[in-house]
Amino acid sequence: MAVPASEALKLPAALEVIRGNINKHGNPLGLKGQEVSGWAKGLDLPRRGDVLFYTAGEYQMLPYIDSLVGALERMQEGSIGFSLMMGVRNLFDRAGISAEKLYASVLAKDRDRFNAIVRKAAEVLQKMGLEICWLGEQELYSGALLYEFGYGDDLRQHARKVIDGFRSTGAKTIITLSPHTAEVLTQVYPKLDDTFDFKVKTFVEAVWEVMQQSDQRWPAARISGLVTIHDACRMARELGITEEIRGILGRLDGISIVEAEQNRRWTSCCGGPGKMVFPEISKKVAARRVAELAATGAATAVSFCPYCLAQLDAGRGDTKLEVVDFIELLAGGMLG
Amino acid sequence: MSAASEKIFRDYAKQLHEAANDPSISLALSRAIKSYRENVNKALTKFPHTVELAEEVRGIKDRAMDRLDEMVETAIASLADNHAQGYFASTAADALEIVDKLVGSGKTIVKSKSMVGEEIGLREHLEEKGNQIWETDLGEFIQQLRHDRPMHILSPAIHVPREDVAKLFTSFFGKEVPPDIAAEVGTVREFLREKYFQADIGMSGANVVAADTGSIIVIENEGNARLSTGAPPVHIVIVGVEKLVPTLQEAFKVAEVNWRYAQYTVPSYVNIISGPSKTGDIEKVTTYGAHGPRELHVIFLDAGRKAMAAEPLFRQALFCMRCGGCMYECPVFALTAGRFGYRYLAGIGAAWTAFGSGMEYALPLTYTCLRCGRCMERCPMKIDVPSMIAELRRRMAASAG
Repeated sequence: MAVPASEALKLPAALEVIRGNINKHGNPLGLKGQEVSGWAKGLDLPRRGDVLFYTAGEYQMLPYIDSLVGALERMQEGSIGFSLMMGVRNLFDRAGISAEKLYASVLAKDRDRFNAIVRKAAEVLQKMGLEICWLGEQELYSGALLYEFGYGDDLRQHARKVIDGFRSTGAKTIITLSPHTAEVLTQVYPKLDDTFDFKVKTFVEAVWEVMQQSDQRWPAARISGLVTIHDACRMARELGITEEIRGILGRLDGISIVEAEQNRRWTSCCGGPGKMVFPEISKKVAARRVAELAATGAATAVSFCPYCLAQLDAGRGDTKLEVVDFIELLAGGMLG
Repeated sequence: MSAASEKIFRDYAKQLHEAANDPSISLALSRAIKSYRENVNKALTKFPHTVELAEEVRGIKDRAMDRLDEMVETAIASLADNHAQGYFASTAADALEIVDKLVGSGKTIVKSKSMVGEEIGLREHLEEKGNQIWETDLGEFIQQLRHDRPMHILSPAIHVPREDVAKLFTSFFGKEVPPDIAAEVGTVREFLREKYFQADIGMSGANVVAADTGSIIVIENEGNARLSTGAPPVHIVIVGVEKLVPTLQEAFKVAEVNWRYAQYTVPSYVNIISGPSKTGDIEKVTTYGAHGPRELHVIFLDAGRKAMAAEPLFRQALFCMRCGGCMYECPVFALTAGRFGYRYLAGIGAAWTAFGSGMEYALPLTYTCLRCGRCMERCPMKIDVPSMIAELRRRMAASAG
């Protein structure tokens, strides 16, 4: 047994906020159902099927994260003490910030961009011949952050609800949009529920599987200049997905790849995981990764994880590097 | 939050941010990282068998962890056969008590670099007891003068540029020392040279210990370890029990992997010390205390290590050879150096701190780690830091309620 603390431990308050939101609202930022499911309007996706398209709400919440982190940073500058403080379940109430007010500052263009990515992912899969279903407003976040932050008991309870949702669709296969969701579903859920027998794959794997069935080449979004790859840590190291990415990009017309010095399993973290506790350090880590990617001479870096996308995009500073999501790259050509 | 651990977190966060905003740290680190990667690649290219050897060593270490008690006993018996003294200390306090009995007060001590020394607060303790202690590793000497702790386990002053060293030395030595690395090294050499021969006691850690022969292996480049363990009349070693392996042959394997991942094709010196100096040159009568020390004392420290060995997930932390490779791969360390640390540094340091010093000290480190896992790519022992961090967080959150 590790040496126990002489007094009770308390975790950084920011983590308690996330935990409270997931427990209460089903997602880390306390978003409403429509904010998470609005992307699918008009697609008429069925609620049952063999393949579940599971967004976990991650892209949808990206534009809100910075607002939350910003509010937490402002609290830290004041004397409220964001890092550690007593009973912070209702941090916002105490600090006099309402969630509505906080999120009012989110730019429509950011919201539109990230919602569009989710929609495009669904459309790409359909275009490639997959019949997907979804959970609509019933979709819950995966709980990856509960795992990440150490809230094992909360995760256990949350996972039960998530799994019930999965089962309600009758799906055998789940396609996830982020490596973090894939990680928690493949490496943690089976330990929480030994009947968890869904086949889980990332969007990248799903696309590569279809592509491998023929020699067909696909058009990519029109991109001028070289493209470099930002391997996401969890994708490359936890899930071991690196060559699939290169395989897909090799099937796309009009893309010239230049590898970053730190690539594949040696990729550099975007700093995203540190965002809630040490946001300032997290930004600096992102800026360093952007510099590594820019050093390739590429005009565009392509990301495979929602958090990496937001981190790198915000970390670009004065560099000329564009950061796009893999889904944008793919959809830009395929969907016209 | 309890007041004490809140303060621990706040102080930590303050220092972490100061470091992250200090451009000389990130500049020094980016140079160091570049050169580390080049050197380690060169070393592994020249000696490609190292990768396979590392796998073998992982097995040696893993098996050794089942035999910690037995190896301590064997090592103490072997040392006794060699006319040296072995001791077992359960806690840091026990180790310091043994040190006190051996050292007393009013002594001059020369010390070579030791992370265990950091762990138990050795220097501060000996100074409190009225001894004068000199760090002889150049980086650690610089940190001693700066009243600071090591910022990297192998290069303690990795974040201090030569200009700052020159200012520090000029003020300490009371004479102009130019910002020229050779001049700086020369100044310390001259100063410490006489200390080695005036010292009553030399102290060191160990990189690996062979239980069957009682041999202590100390790997170094500066030559300070040979002098501080060789010149004074008494040599005291403090070493964690996890550094024990059953045999000298296995110890050589561990040592080679260790220095190679510490970016050396081969280090300048590998010291193997198994007993006090002796001679039988006059009438074949063995007499102890020839040119080297006449006494050798080796203290084996537990301080949470056996508890780690008992847990399958955390046992792998004990395979750590302290080569420092992981730190060069850590994106946070690249910005903050050892401020991402308590006494042990970075992600692996969180595990060590949790078991050795306490959860409240480990908590800030545990929540600084990005769990990005690049440390594990570099680690010759493939220590799964991300999984250990996840488990530490689970325990911390559970005890926070």
